[in-house]
Amino acid sequence: MTDTLLRPAPPAALTHEERSALIDSVRRLLADRCTEGDVRRIIDSDSGHDPALWRALVDLGIAGLTVPEAHGGAGLGATELELVMEEAGAVLLPAPLVSAAIAATLVPDLDGLATGERIAAVAFTGRHGWTGRDTVTVAGGRVTGTARFVADAAIADTILVAADEGVFAVEVADARITPLPVFDRTRRMADVAIDAPARQVADAGVIAKARDIGVVALAGEQAGGARRMLEMTVAYARDRHQFGRAIGSFQAIKHMAADLLLESESATSAARDAARQLADGSTTADAAVALAAFACADAFVRVAKDGIQMHGGIAFTWDHPAHLYLRRARSGAQLFGDSDRWRDRYLAALEAQA
Amino acid sequence: MTDDELRAEVEAWLAEHWRGLPAHHESFGRDPRSAWLAEVRDAGWAVPRWPTDRWGRGLSNDQAKIVERAFAAAGAPGAGQDRTNLWANTALAHATEGFRGQIVPQLLAGEVGMCLLYSEPGAGSDLAAIRTRADKVDGGWRVTGQKVWTSGAAVADYGMLIARTDWDVPKHRGISFFFLPMKQPGVEVRPLRQITDEAHFSEVFITEAFVPDDHLLGPLNGGWGVLQTALAYERSVMGDAARGPRSGAGGPKGDYSLLGLAREAGRIDDPVVRQQVAQAIAWRALNRLNTARAKAELAQGTSSPIMSLGKLAMSRILHEEARVRTLLLGAESLLQGPDHPRAEDANFLTLNAYFTSIGGGTDQIQRNIIGERVLDLPREPEVDRTLPFREVRAG
Repeated sequence: MTDTLLRPAPPAALTHEERSALIDSVRRLLADRCTEGDVRRIIDSDSGHDPALWRALVDLGIAGLTVPEAHGGAGLGATELELVMEEAGAVLLPAPLVSAAIAATLVPDLDGLATGERIAAVAFTGRHGWTGRDTVTVAGGRVTGTARFVADAAIADTILVAADEGVFAVEVADARITPLPVFDRTRRMADVAIDAPARQVADAGVIAKARDIGVVALAGEQAGGARRMLEMTVAYARDRHQFGRAIGSFQAIKHMAADLLLESESATSAARDAARQLADGSTTADAAVALAAFACADAFVRVAKDGIQMHGGIAFTWDHPAHLYLRRARSGAQLFGDSDRWRDRYLAALEAQA
Repeated sequence: MTDDELRAEVEAWLAEHWRGLPAHHESFGRDPRSAWLAEVRDAGWAVPRWPTDRWGRGLSNDQAKIVERAFAAAGAPGAGQDRTNLWANTALAHATEGFRGQIVPQLLAGEVGMCLLYSEPGAGSDLAAIRTRADKVDGGWRVTGQKVWTSGAAVADYGMLIARTDWDVPKHRGISFFFLPMKQPGVEVRPLRQITDEAHFSEVFITEAFVPDDHLLGPLNGGWGVLQTALAYERSVMGDAARGPRSGAGGPKGDYSLLGLAREAGRIDDPVVRQQVAQAIAWRALNRLNTARAKAELAQGTSSPIMSLGKLAMSRILHEEARVRTLLLGAESLLQGPDHPRAEDANFLTLNAYFTSIGGGTDQIQRNIIGERVLDLPREPEVDRTLPFREVRAG
C-alpha cells in the first residue's frame, strides 16, 4: 500500500448553501420522525433505541457522516457534524450519533459503520477514561476488566476499547453487558465486563482526536438543546399570563431570559469554533475543544434549570418536556469528564500555548 | 473600479501622504490629528460608504473595508468613520442642509470638540424623563437645565443635547435634539470626581444658553428618534472596547494576563485558583467568539441577535476578571499607590468595571433591551408613558 492510500482523504468542504441544505434535510427528518411523542416512546422502551429511526438517519447519510467516502460514508468533517448535532440536540434525538462519530475517527474502515449495520460503542479507559471507575487492562494478549458507563453499549454490535495500549475491538459476544438505570433515558449507558482476545484495530495515538470529535459532537448537541429549551421558555413567557400580564413582561423573568440568551449563544459560538478548529487541524484546537466542553455543558445545564424555574409549576410535571432537557443536560455534563476537569485542561492548553 | 484597482489607489495615496502623527491624542475635544484627518476627508477616505457629494466615495461595504484595511496596515487613522464617528453620522442623518455642510466636514477632521448632554441627575436609566428645557426665542432657543456624566465637556465646542420643548405631551414626544454651542456664558462645566479618583466626566450647568434655529437636528419634538440613532452607535462601540489597567504596562514583570499574574503570584498550581482563572479567561474568549460569529453572520446577510449581547457580556468579564485578580493578590490587594502597581490595577479594575455595567445603559436596562427587542418579550407597563410630562411624578 502506498503512502497516499494510507493517508485518509481530507473531509470534503461543503459550501454554505450545501451545508444549509444538509441541515434542512436533517431538520425535516427530525420534525417528522423525532417528535416529543417519538422521544417519549423511545425512552420508555427497554433498549432506548428505535431501529426504524436509525435506518432513516443512515439513509440520510447522518450515521456515517464523518466516515470517509472511501469506506462508504459521507466523508464530511467536524464542522458539519457539529451542525447536525445541534439539530439532534434540539429535539433530544435518542440515537448513537456521538458514539458513531467517535468510532468513525478511531476505526474509519470498520465494517458496517457507514451503513449503520454495525453500531459501535466506545469505552474510554486508562488515560482517557472519564469515570475513574473502570478496571480494564490489556495484558497477555487479552483485554480484561470492566468499563463503566459506556454509552450505547447495550445496542452495540462492537465495543471499541480505547486503552493506553491501543484501540481494541471486542464483539459483544465476548462481553457481559449490564444496562444501567440511567437518569437521562435518552442516553443509555451500560457497564461492560470484558474477557476477550486483544484484537487491536488502531493505535493509541488516534484516541485523543477521536475523543475530541466526540466532545465537539456533544458540545453541538448541548448548544442545540440549550437553544431549544430557551425558545420554549421564552415562548411560554410570552403566552402565560399572571396578574393580567404576560409573565415575560416582568423584569424578573425577562432578565433571566436575557442572561440565558447569552449562555446559549456563547455555547453555540464555542461549539462551532471548536469544530472549525478540529476540521482545520488548528494548533490551538486543544484549547478550543476544552472551552467548548465546559462552556456548552454548563450553558445547557443552566438554561435547562433556569428554564424550568421560569416556567413555574407546569414544568414540574412529568408530561412537560422541560425535565427531559434537564436530564439530557446533566448526562452530557458528565460524559467525557465534568466541567471542572475541562476548565483545568483549558488552562493547561493555554499554558502550553504561552 | 475593481477591488485590486481600489487597493492600489488607496495604497498609493497613503504612500504619498502618510507621514505619521504626533503621539498623543484625546478622543474628546479638538483632535491634534486634525491636519491629517482633513487630508483623509478631502480624499474621500474618511467615509468611503457615503455618496460622493457627501464627503464619501459611494463604495460598497466590502470595498470600504479594503480602504479601512489599507489604512490599518499603514497605521494611519481616519478611514471608515462612516462606521465609527458617532457625531458625524448623527449630523449627516439629521442636521439641516446648511448646518450639515458646515459641521460634518469639521467633525470628520476632528476640528471641533464634542460632548454628550443626555443624562441628568433625575434622568439616568429613564432618559426620556429629562427636565432641561429649551424655550423658543427669536432666532433660536434658550436652554436651562443640568446635565451629568459628560465626557470632554471642558474642551468641547458643541454638545449633543436633548431638551424638553413640549411639556404638555407624553415624555418621549416633547423632546428635541440640538447641537448646543458650549463656548458661551450660560454653560458652566464642573469636573465630577469618580470612584476611581479620576475625573473623566463633568456636570454641565446650563443657564439661559442660546442655540440657533438651524442647530436643531431632526423635527421639533422628534428628538427621541434622533437619540436612538446616536445611542445605537454608542452601544455598538462599548461591547468591543474596555479599558485595561491604569498603569499601562501591568505588573512588575510586564505580564498583564490573568495567567501571567497567576504564575507571578505563585498560585498557578492551586486547583481552586485554576478553576477561577480558567473561567474568567473563558468568559472573554466566548465573547470574542460571539463577536466574530455575529460579524460573519451579518456578512452573510443573516441577522444576528448576538451583537446586542456584547455589552452585557463585557460587564461580567470585567467584574469577574477584577475579582479573580484580587483573589490572586490576596492581602497585596489591600494596598494602593505607585509602589504597588498590581494592587492598583486590581483595585482600579474592580471599580472601573462599573463604567461598563452602569455607563451607556445599565446591565439591567441592557437586559430589558435584549428581552424586548431580541426575544420579543412584552414591555413592562409604564405608568408615565401616556401622561402629559408635566403631570409625571418625579423625585
